[in-house]
Amino acid sequence: MNRNPNPFVTHEFTGMEKIMKCALKPLISIIFSILCLQSALAQVTPDRLLNAENEPDSWLLYGGDYDSQRHSELTQITKANVADLELQWVWQNRAPDGASQKFEATPLVVDGVMYTVAAPNNVIAVDPVSGRLFWIYNYTPTLDARVCCGRVNRRLAMHGNSLFMGTIDGKLVKIDSRNGKPQWMIDVAPPELGYALTLAPLIIDNKIIVGPAGGEYGIRGFIAAFDVDSGEKLWQFNTIPAPVDPGSETWTDAAQQAWETGGGSIWQTGSYDPELNLTYWGVGNPGPDWNGDSRPGDNLYTESVVALNPDTGEIAWHYQFTPHDEMDYDATQTAVLADLNWQGEDRKVMLFANRNGVFYVLDRETGKFLLGEPFVSVNWMSGFEENGRPIRALYPTEEGTFIMPNNQGATNWYPPSYSPVTELLYVPTWLDTFSVYTKRPVEYTPGQQYVGAFPTMAMPALGVNAVNQRTPEEGLGAIQAINPQNGEIVWRHVMNNVTDSGVLSTATNLVFAGGREGHFYALDAETGEELWRRTLGGQIASGPMSYAINGKQYVAISAGAGLFVFALPE
Amino acid sequence: MKELCRKLVTGALVCIFYLVPCTLLQAQEHSYAPSDIENGRGLYQANCLGCHGNDADAVEGANLSTGRFRRASSDEDLIRLIREGIPNTLMIPKTNLSYGDTRAIVAFLRALPSGGALVADEREVRIGDAARGEALFFSNQTQCSACHGVNGGGNLLSPDLSNVGATRTPATLETAMLDPIAEVRAGQRFYQVTNLQGNTVNGLLLNQDTHSVQLLREGERLASYQKEDLQNHGFIPSPMPSYLDVLSPDEVSDLVAYMISLKGEE
Repeated sequence: MNRNPNPFVTHEFTGMEKIMKCALKPLISIIFSILCLQSALAQVTPDRLLNAENEPDSWLLYGGDYDSQRHSELTQITKANVADLELQWVWQNRAPDGASQKFEATPLVVDGVMYTVAAPNNVIAVDPVSGRLFWIYNYTPTLDARVCCGRVNRRLAMHGNSLFMGTIDGKLVKIDSRNGKPQWMIDVAPPELGYALTLAPLIIDNKIIVGPAGGEYGIRGFIAAFDVDSGEKLWQFNTIPAPVDPGSETWTDAAQQAWETGGGSIWQTGSYDPELNLTYWGVGNPGPDWNGDSRPGDNLYTESVVALNPDTGEIAWHYQFTPHDEMDYDATQTAVLADLNWQGEDRKVMLFANRNGVFYVLDRETGKFLLGEPFVSVNWMSGFEENGRPIRALYPTEEGTFIMPNNQGATNWYPPSYSPVTELLYVPTWLDTFSVYTKRPVEYTPGQQYVGAFPTMAMPALGVNAVNQRTPEEGLGAIQAINPQNGEIVWRHVMNNVTDSGVLSTATNLVFAGGREGHFYALDAETGEELWRRTLGGQIASGPMSYAINGKQYVAISAGAGLFVFALPE
Repeated sequence: MKELCRKLVTGALVCIFYLVPCTLLQAQEHSYAPSDIENGRGLYQANCLGCHGNDADAVEGANLSTGRFRRASSDEDLIRLIREGIPNTLMIPKTNLSYGDTRAIVAFLRALPSGGALVADEREVRIGDAARGEALFFSNQTQCSACHGVNGGGNLLSPDLSNVGATRTPATLETAMLDPIAEVRAGQRFYQVTNLQGNTVNGLLLNQDTHSVQLLREGERLASYQKEDLQNHGFIPSPMPSYLDVLSPDEVSDLVAYMISLKGEE
């Protein structure tokens, strides 16, 4: 995306201009000094975030940039030298509490400092060269916190000199980046009803945008923007429309009550297109998860991606991936934005590898469905209608229905990567898995799980055990390279266990990723060939990122309870 | 499907052998009614399976499939734990569950050792004489004790059976003798590796990943192999022989009786 036109214009000065220039010089100097001072006081300005792609030494946003491509323009580490990568330092968190406290956060690096979050909600600031600690902010969530699938946090956001963190007990905390002291804390949603914040907040202009997890607790989801200074709520978009709202016609229960506990959670960060001024968010499953009898209809905006105006929260368009979902195929994957010549036409597209096993290309100006191709074995749908609506083939039944992919999905929150060099999307994948979905009665009780019968799975959803004694038929993992032009799998790097790792691509045609086995790989972005590997001794359940300090490129990844940083030898 | 057919054939054979002349005994030995257990199964699916998994063993340090509970010494303890939760963990209070529902989950958990959370083989099978079964177990005829330990003995490649009566249903035990490859659980699977020189080693699979495999090999030695150093590797059938054509139906029922009497240390 070209969103940073060159501001420097040269031309010949006239005499008057020269006089004015001389007269104004001191004034300009003063203004410049003030700006510099402000810049020094406010490290991360909205402009820096808008131009993050021009600042490859830093890692300012969850996906590196607003387009969520998780692609680094740094070029020091190449195919020729990646085999020489060496461990630079390790930062060890206390041991995670089983599978429930995976180290899922992607670090943030800005102006010579790295910030990250150790599960559940402890913020650290370290020297990105040595790993030595500047400060740590420990936050203990209240006992009301309840999260279905892990006491985790995926990242901080930064604005000015402040860090912002969502907590698993439904709070948004503003922290001074210089000393780790909290500046304010606001209640976003009630944890006792199952609301939790696990995502990385998204900063747009002077707004901080978040949404709650809790799709397994009968929440009513939303996306909300808060003022970065005051914490005042500026707008809220409800992912489940009330009966008077557009979209409510997709909740057709006679009692008109299902929407109140309709789910629609938000637990992965949105993307943003400044030119269109639209921010894109994937919305989670409807509630209850595995028995939709109480919520007939398509259940908008669950299982959809929504395009919102970040100034008002108004919806511009939506596309629903899995209407009336009963398989818990949360559409909370990362919406990757790319400007492509797509099938002969220049388009602003969105690439979306969905938990339901289908890779989508959408026109992100209009939401028009352009392409849908399965990237694993899929049997819940058999194709698409002309307008992009899936043709549904299977539903859960009382007897149990064998459905592919499994409940954890073909992919999940693990962030993929798009390389503008290879023009491929790299997707962490659970290959050809299945679950038996059984429909059981379910009733809503505030604060308790509101799901139905858990489907069967051959492997643990959270990757608890280091030991793997499963057969290949019970599940494999892979990093897959998908061609957005047609959905074809260009290459596939298969792992013996499934993967919860994100992916990083680089301008030098490298792909970094890992998996539950604890191996961290550098792959050839063009072929998938393994070029380098290190064993980190704990499952990788986070997104790799890259940064540079004083001209030296680093690659960081968390695994188990540790944060590991690699670079080339001096 | 092949496994299903095998199970059906085995089930049919078992019926032919035992149905007419024998007394059918109820497999259930727990103090809970089958309806409680079945109700608990559904409640477990709805409330517990997401974290604890199909086999109730997915949470490290909280394996619910063994019949032993670190934080609870009685069923009332378990009921209280489920309803009150464990602070600072994902085990939140299940206040939505009535006492009766929680008790049903406990009934199900207590029945879990009877063969797996969601696929317990509850078929009724004939149970013979445990004393005769014990004699058979240690006899040269069966040579069970050459591999399987009971309160000592056996080898490390074969499952220790000291507690097998508390962890399997009679039907599961019978199938294990007559058709041992019908279901081999993770942790009991055998693996074969052949190195580049053509030497082959079999062993109990302890762990594997994309690049390596760890075995307890024959001779009870730990061994780790890099897959790139192997010309072949993969799962192999269990070395447990079938006793379908070796033992009479009476002898099989005696062995089943002996094994379900093995409850380990209380």
